[in-house]
Amino acid sequence: MMTCKLQLGGAFAFARSNNHSVSIESSSLMVATDHQNKTNNNLLPRELAMATTCVPTIKPLLEKELRTHPQETNNDIINSGKFGRFGGKFVPETLIVCMSQLEAEFNKAIHDETFKAELAEALRDFAGRETPLYYARRLSEHYKINNNGKGPDIYLKREDLNHGGSHKINNALGQAMIAKRMGRNTVVTATASGQHGIATAAACAKLGLDCTVFMAAKEMEKECSNVKLMKLLGAKVEGVNGSYKDAASEAFRSWVGEMEKSYHLTGSAVGPHPCPTMVREFQSVIGRETRKQALEKWGGKPDVLIACVGTGSNALGLFHEYLHDMDVRLIGVEAAGCGLDSGKHSSTLAAGDVGVYHGALTYLLQDQDGQILPPHSIASGMEYPGVSPELSYLKESGRAEFSVATDQEALDAYERLCKLEGIFPSLEAAHALAILDNLVPTLSDGSKVIVNCSGCGDKDAALVFDHKLFHGKV
Amino acid sequence: MASSITSSSSRLFPITRDSQPTSHSTSKDPSVLPLEEQTNLSNGSVSSFQRPDSFGRFGKFGGKYVPETLIHALTELEAAFHTLSADEEFQKDLAGILRDYVGRETPLYFAERLTEHYKRENGEGPHIYLKREDLNHTGAHKINNAVAQALLAKCLGKKRIIAETGAGQHGVATATVCARFGLECIVYMGAQDMERQALNVFRMRLLGAEVRPVHSGTATLKDATSEAIRDWVTNVETTHYILGSVAGPHPYPMMVRQFHAVIGKETRKQALEKWGGKPDVLIACVGGGSNAMGLFHEFVDDKDVRLIGVEAAGFGLDSGKHAATLTKGEVGVLHGAMSYLLQDEDGQIVEPHSISAGLDYPGVGPEHSYLKDIGRAEYYSITDEEALEAFKRVSRLEGIIPALETSHALAYLEKVCPTLPNGAKVVVNFSGRGDKDVHTAIKYLKV
Repeated sequence: MMTCKLQLGGAFAFARSNNHSVSIESSSLMVATDHQNKTNNNLLPRELAMATTCVPTIKPLLEKELRTHPQETNNDIINSGKFGRFGGKFVPETLIVCMSQLEAEFNKAIHDETFKAELAEALRDFAGRETPLYYARRLSEHYKINNNGKGPDIYLKREDLNHGGSHKINNALGQAMIAKRMGRNTVVTATASGQHGIATAAACAKLGLDCTVFMAAKEMEKECSNVKLMKLLGAKVEGVNGSYKDAASEAFRSWVGEMEKSYHLTGSAVGPHPCPTMVREFQSVIGRETRKQALEKWGGKPDVLIACVGTGSNALGLFHEYLHDMDVRLIGVEAAGCGLDSGKHSSTLAAGDVGVYHGALTYLLQDQDGQILPPHSIASGMEYPGVSPELSYLKESGRAEFSVATDQEALDAYERLCKLEGIFPSLEAAHALAILDNLVPTLSDGSKVIVNCSGCGDKDAALVFDHKLFHGKV
Repeated sequence: MASSITSSSSRLFPITRDSQPTSHSTSKDPSVLPLEEQTNLSNGSVSSFQRPDSFGRFGKFGGKYVPETLIHALTELEAAFHTLSADEEFQKDLAGILRDYVGRETPLYFAERLTEHYKRENGEGPHIYLKREDLNHTGAHKINNAVAQALLAKCLGKKRIIAETGAGQHGVATATVCARFGLECIVYMGAQDMERQALNVFRMRLLGAEVRPVHSGTATLKDATSEAIRDWVTNVETTHYILGSVAGPHPYPMMVRQFHAVIGKETRKQALEKWGGKPDVLIACVGGGSNAMGLFHEFVDDKDVRLIGVEAAGFGLDSGKHAATLTKGEVGVLHGAMSYLLQDEDGQIVEPHSISAGLDYPGVGPEHSYLKDIGRAEYYSITDEEALEAFKRVSRLEGIIPALETSHALAYLEKVCPTLPNGAKVVVNFSGRGDKDVHTAIKYLKV
């Protein structure tokens, strides 16, 4: 029998399971959902803010953000680990010291001028930043034509032009440099579609670190080109049964076994504190550049920012800069897969419940027993049953809006951008582009819309080809 | 098999040293450059010759070996090019597209681990920099020229674009820019190549292009080129032919070079910023020669900068299966220009071979032929095996996967670095990324 306990405010709560193989995260989840079970009415109500197992300064993130200068990242933000009631550090005791060490190291690094200069140079010369803010004239006109020449001006933030083909390198470089500072010689990570795996393998090769990437076996088949790229970059690629969430768990487990020598590099803004904050900080270069470029191009701010949401790293990277600009709308787009009613989707914020997963309190796709539901999307990078705790907070506080796009809508948007602009968006980014169809008619003439083109879709051409072949459209 | 417009004879035309170019213009924008200013003939420098002269010749190479029906189109194209070079609006548009669409300027990246790898036992060795053309939109330098030619075609009022392609890279680049500018796009591709590159064919179609199979001859690149030229002859009023390299009839070698010259211009500026000087050695792979000319052109008059072009030696120069045109070829006319080319005793084109499709061309740009003959640039060759080794080496050491074409240039570092003095600055043109070559490389490298 397995018992798990969790500290809730002043009380302790227990959950028991007869299943010996229950994992850390699902046992935490069991506790969390036990307390959400309405039949246990002598226990704490659902909306109670849960304490973390480390020293918290629990204040809503947005208030703190509002008090600080947007460009500065101060110690309070780094130390809190909470976004409203979301986030936290739901990890076994053995890992607490590790996470605190990582947090301290990260804090030191981002306040170190030498580190910042080295990272800026690597982002410029290795990754190819800054990425352009591109006016998609033909895409804008495509919408204006049906509306008397009126409509918003659509810009694309070209993260597809980064080395590695996506925004993932921003974070992989930053964290690999931290790993090197900490004297680690191996990096371990998990990847969904392979984009983060490639970025990590590339950064590790550049810095002379060994790299192991865990990937779901079925993804390895689907994205075999990406697997080959990782191997060519010198990384070891390990297959895991299941999907990305299982690969992520395996990576974590592997790291726990070798904590002194290896570094676990999270690719997405999920996980226990400080991971979501670290990833967001490294990705926030996207939003900072966008502000500068918007000012140069039209002397103002964007009106609407749109980004796809798998776990949320590219969205947070774009949104973070504008969190306190209340006149800027933030729209995240999740994967509706075969449709929300089909049960085959990855729309965590649209259809999920709150629980603890992979070390953080956040929205996730779970059934009534608190078991994780398998997500689905044609875009592997969107196929995750959880989401960044910070995005969960932005949803709950109403600061950001969240929409969904189906597989077919994403495929249509992919083709549309190819034909109109000669740019292959990744299938992930295509989700963000897909909602323009419904959004644009509601926007005023001349409003400025920026879509984060978070990745390059060359990798998806084969998938689109097979899909069309299968449906007799080739 | 030779197409109707090629000739295997190596006729010499008189070189007119005193000829004037059709127009001089100064350009503030590095992306579009004018013809060379005429320099002092008496100092005997390279630029004492126009490159090219008004007949489109580089020494005895180059020229316009085309049917009469195309002469007018070529003359019109040349005139339009010179006019637009001086046009501020065109230059501003082009600079904007190169910045926001293509993603320029590309970094000059210090390859620390590669430099370390080539250090001698006493710790001395050259410093190696990579000009990151792989970071361009579509993953190679090709787009610099495609985008500029599409803009030029639009200014000329042409609504139809044609191109030829071997493995599909230039076809994809052309289809890309046509989608961007809303132009009709037809790409000619050898039927055999279409089978081998089904995914690239699909990409071009996704971009809205029509891909036409060519069944004549060996159904490969040179036959596709001939077919494209035939189409152009028929539809010259409405159609612009986007040639992908510094080969072909004048003004293409000059135009394509000028559109790629932004690479060299940026390199000069970045070298000054990074180490306060010029590069000592420039290395680039040579298929048709466009990326090499793009890097070299800025520095041709800097005699203290070594220019090294690297061709494909395939299975080896003695195997007969290679594409080392400048090393093993002879002078003749192919696709409208006099240049070195791989031909047999009867003047028939020899089918070239290289593991990399982009270097698999039996000719070479006429300007390269000229630079070789006058000794301004040096040309060497690298085998398939050496290129694959370099592909793997650079991927592992720097985390950047080079195109197999680029790998030829990188492979030459093995030969040249031991001979270079300590601290010599070497810039290698990283002309493309290797994602497209993953399946080929894995097969051979058994990774």
